[in-house]
Amino acid sequence: MSPFRHKNRRLLAAALLLLIALGLLAGCASDRDNRILVWHSMRPIESDILRQALADFARRYPEYVFDELFYAPETARTNFIISALGGSGPALFWGANDNIGPLVELGVIMPLEEVYSRAFLDSFLVTPLPANTWMDGHLWQIADRVGNHLCLVYNKKLVARPPQTMNELIAFGKTYMAAHQGQQNYYPLVWNYTEPFFAVPFIGGYGGWVMDENNQPTLDQPAVVKAGQLIWELARVHKIIPLECDYEIANALFKDGYAAMIINGSWSWATYLENGIDIGIARIPKIDETGLWPSPAVSPLGYSLNVNLEGKKLEIARELLAWLTAAPLQLRFAEVSGAIPSRVEAFKAPEVTGNPLVSAALDQLLVGRIMPPVTEMRWIWDAMRPSYQGIFTGRVTPEQAARDMQALALKLIKENRE
Amino acid sequence: MAESAGQVKVNRLAYFYTMPAFFLMGLMIVYPFIYNVVISFSNMNLTHFRDWHITGLGNYLQVVTGSSFWYFFFKTVLWTVVNVIFHVGIGVGLALLLNKDIKGKSIFRTLLILPWAVPQYITALTWRGMFNSEYGAVNLLLDRGLGFTIPWLTTEWGAFAACLITNIWLGFPFMMIIALGGLQSIPDELYEAAEIDGSTWWHKLRHITIPLLRPVMVPAITLGVIWTFNNFNVVWLVSNGGEPSDKTHILVSWIYKSAFTYFRMGYAAAFSMVLFAILLLFSWNFIKKTRATEAVY
Repeated sequence: MSPFRHKNRRLLAAALLLLIALGLLAGCASDRDNRILVWHSMRPIESDILRQALADFARRYPEYVFDELFYAPETARTNFIISALGGSGPALFWGANDNIGPLVELGVIMPLEEVYSRAFLDSFLVTPLPANTWMDGHLWQIADRVGNHLCLVYNKKLVARPPQTMNELIAFGKTYMAAHQGQQNYYPLVWNYTEPFFAVPFIGGYGGWVMDENNQPTLDQPAVVKAGQLIWELARVHKIIPLECDYEIANALFKDGYAAMIINGSWSWATYLENGIDIGIARIPKIDETGLWPSPAVSPLGYSLNVNLEGKKLEIARELLAWLTAAPLQLRFAEVSGAIPSRVEAFKAPEVTGNPLVSAALDQLLVGRIMPPVTEMRWIWDAMRPSYQGIFTGRVTPEQAARDMQALALKLIKENRE
Repeated sequence: MAESAGQVKVNRLAYFYTMPAFFLMGLMIVYPFIYNVVISFSNMNLTHFRDWHITGLGNYLQVVTGSSFWYFFFKTVLWTVVNVIFHVGIGVGLALLLNKDIKGKSIFRTLLILPWAVPQYITALTWRGMFNSEYGAVNLLLDRGLGFTIPWLTTEWGAFAACLITNIWLGFPFMMIIALGGLQSIPDELYEAAEIDGSTWWHKLRHITIPLLRPVMVPAITLGVIWTFNNFNVVWLVSNGGEPSDKTHILVSWIYKSAFTYFRMGYAAAFSMVLFAILLLFSWNFIKKTRATEAVY
């Protein structure tokens, strides 16, 4: 074979390889161009409804592919930030509004007040809490539900009447434990109590809150100490909650019928109903010492639009957001999971007002505390976790934990605001 | 000079073929590395994510003067040393056993590779479940067999031990496979000659097996040290992101948390540069002292 032909064959092979590579890249690009993704943290039964809603919407735009993807809340936030900063990411991002602060500061979501009509925005709740999230004069999130708060969920087969006060809870707990003496896994109450979000209601029950009106932490205070002490005593002194309990274990114990009650949010109720548990919802029992109801953090949950959207894709995403927050879909979520609708029309619908789960969740919401969407909230959660968990490992006293949380929260805010 | 220019001309096609690899390396390693170096001198954080600017050595000062660095550095060294000792000890021990003519050798070999074959993510989460103090298999067995339990995941050292056990389980098959390969390449004649000379098992191990395994094991141990030093998955998943109280971290998991939970990008970048320097120094010295790559040159 002549050197010329040999060289030509090599060049031809290289050119072919290049063409294949370009073809692959083009294929990827076109696949991305017609794909509209929704990232969310909904439980499977709710994801099914979302998927169906997307399939229904997809008929309007057959040339586009609509899909949803589940991530755990923290992972969803981090992944969305990373991907959106990199110029991609899903078209719509669904989550609680305490994500909004970081998302706005990082510039990864777009303001929505110019995208939607006044009439559309006015169709959302303003009381008992504003459904849509505004910050710095712009609208950043449109809710499909409000609440996202913790309630006392009880198994009606095991609890005739939910306890109204902490003393009642402890008394019930001791009776329950005595009835199951020698049997493993039985607890009157379980919840993911080592996570700060799940301890916040009790801080409110002692008259405190995690931040002041200037968005500065208020963690070194008696209410935080007493809340930590109370939960520690439930585990170590009264022994009516497990010594070690994360979200999955608490859920498993309740679903399997070992635990009589669980403190959890509306996102979990569908799973319990699906497991055939006859659940009732009540307020978390009142703190006897203060006479106050524990006040869970409440917030809307909804959709934001990725800042990278443009052109036709932005138009479709805008329309999709309206579709996913429409009243009929909200009624479907309320029916299946007890989610409190964010549209006035759905909120006032008889199927919602007559739904005992939604009514009970609303009752708990009335004593809740609206979670500000500011970024400081994130740092306060992050600062609470290490020291708060230290109470249960015996590393620190509740007093020391409160001091350490405050110091770390101030440090994180300072470091990030430098 | 002319000679090297000539070589370039002769090997033009080879350079052409390696260009995509160079291009990808540049895109995926060199560029992010340079970017990391730059932001390590900056104030990039949640507040200044887009409008960051160079602030000097502040992040490096924060890293080396902060207590977290030294604390997690100590834990990382401990983590690496314990893991590698167990990986090599168990791996070589099992390889020596499997290298003998025992019944069902292939079954044992397959079984022992299984921990390596299962994805790390699944193994780590399974072990996390097994370490639950009340419902986990480990404590149930301890309670039934020995009458005591250990609060694995709720205490600082319990969680660290849980991560160690999980990683030892995951890591020994690699060393076993490498050692087995090395053992099979040692000529039987050497052992036969030693036997004729009246050598004991220990003498054969010390004077034949270990020296001849060394060229195979040294690069494997170097890799093992680097992988273990940077083993983010196991620590992160077993301890659920550093629990309890952010005490169960090694340097790399702390860097991840600083970057992607706290979004302190400048600080995390500086931290990762310090980590890079540590690993570079270690690998350089280790390879130089052990002359592990000698045969390649």
